[in-house]
Amino acid sequence: MITYYIKPNIIVSGILFPLFMFLAFAIGKNAPPGTLIPGLIAITLLFSASSIEPVSIPIERRVKTFDRLLAAPISLHSLVFGESVSGFLYSLCIACLPVALGIILFATPIEHAPVLVIAMALTAFCFATLGTLFAAYPTENVGEVMSMLNTVRLPLIFISGVFIPISEIPQIGQFIALLSPLTYGNDMIAYAYTGTSLYSPMLDIAALLIFILIFQLVANRLYKKFNE
Amino acid sequence: MYAIEVSHLTKRFGTLTALNDVNFSVDVGETFGFLGPNGAGKTTTIRILTGISYPTSGTATIFGHDIGRDTIAARQSMGIVSETSNVYDDLTAWQNMIFSAELYHVGRNEREKKAAELLATFDLYERRNDKAHGFSKGMKRRLTLAMGLVNSPRLLFLDEPTSGLDVQSNLIIRDVITGLTREGVTVFLTTHNIEEANLMCDRVAIVNKGHIAAIDAPERLKKTIQSAQSIVVSFDHVSAGQFEEVRGLSMVNAAVKEGDKFRLYTEDPATVIESVMEYARTRNLRVISISTLGPSLEDVFIRLTGLQRTGGMIHAID
Repeated sequence: MITYYIKPNIIVSGILFPLFMFLAFAIGKNAPPGTLIPGLIAITLLFSASSIEPVSIPIERRVKTFDRLLAAPISLHSLVFGESVSGFLYSLCIACLPVALGIILFATPIEHAPVLVIAMALTAFCFATLGTLFAAYPTENVGEVMSMLNTVRLPLIFISGVFIPISEIPQIGQFIALLSPLTYGNDMIAYAYTGTSLYSPMLDIAALLIFILIFQLVANRLYKKFNE
Repeated sequence: MYAIEVSHLTKRFGTLTALNDVNFSVDVGETFGFLGPNGAGKTTTIRILTGISYPTSGTATIFGHDIGRDTIAARQSMGIVSETSNVYDDLTAWQNMIFSAELYHVGRNEREKKAAELLATFDLYERRNDKAHGFSKGMKRRLTLAMGLVNSPRLLFLDEPTSGLDVQSNLIIRDVITGLTREGVTVFLTTHNIEEANLMCDRVAIVNKGHIAAIDAPERLKKTIQSAQSIVVSFDHVSAGQFEEVRGLSMVNAAVKEGDKFRLYTEDPATVIESVMEYARTRNLRVISISTLGPSLEDVFIRLTGLQRTGGMIHAID
């Protein structure tokens, strides 16, 4: 997977895009940058975790190495899970950058470090599975998958309380926020940093686990359907 | 128990029926060829037999394991070499081998031993630390085949193994396949190279439009079309209109121009030889060579798949 980690698409989506979003919001809100670190971590996890498979799987389809994986003596469930693990590991490494940025540059305190680790791990795996799900679309064109994925993940930034608190968005937005996995990941990360959150960490964990399960099951169904 | 047993296999893509009630079996240790024109259903069959795709109805078993229900056990005993050399260009030959071995759960010690052995067999050991990106087409093909053998499969699927390769790669691959069959490995081979199937296969299936048109040993298939016996003749002088004249000779069913020779298909070679000699005398030509040939596997293939020869070309009639 290291081969794919350094593809331009991955670098732009996983590292540069979250950084630019952070800078835009930091300047726009005129807030101390340190207070935006939880949001930066959340969107870094979203964009880095969900970018690996939508790049690697269409490329593998194009060079036919994906058939090699499909024909190996491993279950489809294991293959889908394994694909998600690569996005998960990459995302966790990348998300350490904003954590370090907060500590080194802004001295942002972390109230509950273990909660932060759990939140980052679950959020990363959730979005890695989302990326694997979108990569099920049977194309050899990376751009096609990325376009579809961006129509989902870009709006998530604005409705999940990352830079704009959920309480400040319209009622309909607050309802939609409940359907976004980023809401729960961001909420738990915010709790780890500040000790306060919209929902309890246990609810956030449960919600993220449910999203992971749904994404995994849907991804399994789609890979099976599109291989027919 | 058969290595492969296919029963009433049907595959539909919407309104298109790619495979229609296909039945065949492959014995353990047999080299089985699967021949057919493009779109006949060869790749669909391989994708179902390897568990990548699923049949609409019917069953396929690999050494008694149902490929749909017992997929992992079925795949454990097979090696797959696809038509495209699907190696990882950014990995070295060695890394490709080890990754392939890991996919098939080959133990650490065994995988390194097997990787070294196979890379040596395919004349790639000296290049084991080079990325596949810089390999020639033939080298990539050899590496693909080596990767397909890393789990010591009992059944090897080969999709067009020697298509478009250089002579060296061709010879190495054919030698290895011959060696495997001596060791009792079952080989399922799809190829466009009919002569390759003729030389390598114990039996061949000719598939067309999703149906199996015939299954038998190559020699027995050839005997089914005695009308495809032929006379190959060359004259000392070739002139315009000569092809039309020899095609019109008595008892000639069809004719093909092959370089400086004419191949005349007939059910009665003796009469055609007499006609050819008479034709040469009247046109003041000298016969340089003349020989009688039995039907080739290509003739059987053309007959059964509905292709037809026209003036040295082969045309699809559907």
